[in-house]
Amino acid sequence: MSAKPKAVQKPALAHLFWWFMFSQGGLFAAVLLPVHIVVQGILGPLGIVPVVDRHYDTWISILGNPIVKLYLFVLISLPFFHFAHRLRYLLVDLGVPAAKTVPAQVVFYGAAVVVTVLSIYVLLPTAPISLG
Amino acid sequence: MSAETETSSRVATRTYKPAMRAGWWLRKGHYFWYMVREFTALPLALWLLWLLYEIQRAGRGPSGYYPPSSTPFVVFSVICLVFALYHSITFLRLAGVILHFKVMDKPVPSGLVVASQFGAWLVASIVIGAVLIGFGR
Repeated sequence: MSAKPKAVQKPALAHLFWWFMFSQGGLFAAVLLPVHIVVQGILGPLGIVPVVDRHYDTWISILGNPIVKLYLFVLISLPFFHFAHRLRYLLVDLGVPAAKTVPAQVVFYGAAVVVTVLSIYVLLPTAPISLG
Repeated sequence: MSAETETSSRVATRTYKPAMRAGWWLRKGHYFWYMVREFTALPLALWLLWLLYEIQRAGRGPSGYYPPSSTPFVVFSVICLVFALYHSITFLRLAGVILHFKVMDKPVPSGLVVASQFGAWLVASIVIGAVLIGFGR
């Protein structure tokens, strides 16, 4: 009992946070993105099916829905935390060890934060949520 | 004896250089597909940025909005879709390796875990597709 270790083990909270964002971002991109690309990127432009973003009135009215806004916010911002990590290690694997450094981490994860802020900046004023 | 010490001292002072040459990932199919998996992030990021731009354009009012219809855009989407599907398949298959559950003290087979992930993907795709198409005219 006397030989209790003095060193207090601190949970790696920053590590936990970035890994959570990486895995959840990857999951959201995997589960949600392909259907958006198929419907909005291929079927809609080819005129095969009616799609909500083909007309201004339908697009702006669905963008005014707060649940849709929240969904689009998560869909657009979260995957970038996954992409940031993947692209950073793509550079490492292509022979750029500088991509492992802290400044590179700030640049890549900072870019994901920028996209997050940008998506709020775009989503909030576009078809503002009106109460009542 | 002297030769041996000379060799070992020379080894000790040499700096380690990683032996990964440029293009190492082109030598094996496995390496190549690993790099493709990492690369999928780029087209997916570009497509999501386009989606954000599409939302931003709606804010310009009815006269400023026109839906995307050009052939290059469809081609861009098809290319992104290929990478998106590769990301989905590789990412969701990983769940069978990462997630371990026990039900009634018996481990859930990884095949079942993967199947549930693909099932969730299918259901989400149907729901989102129905919303995107159903609210259109």
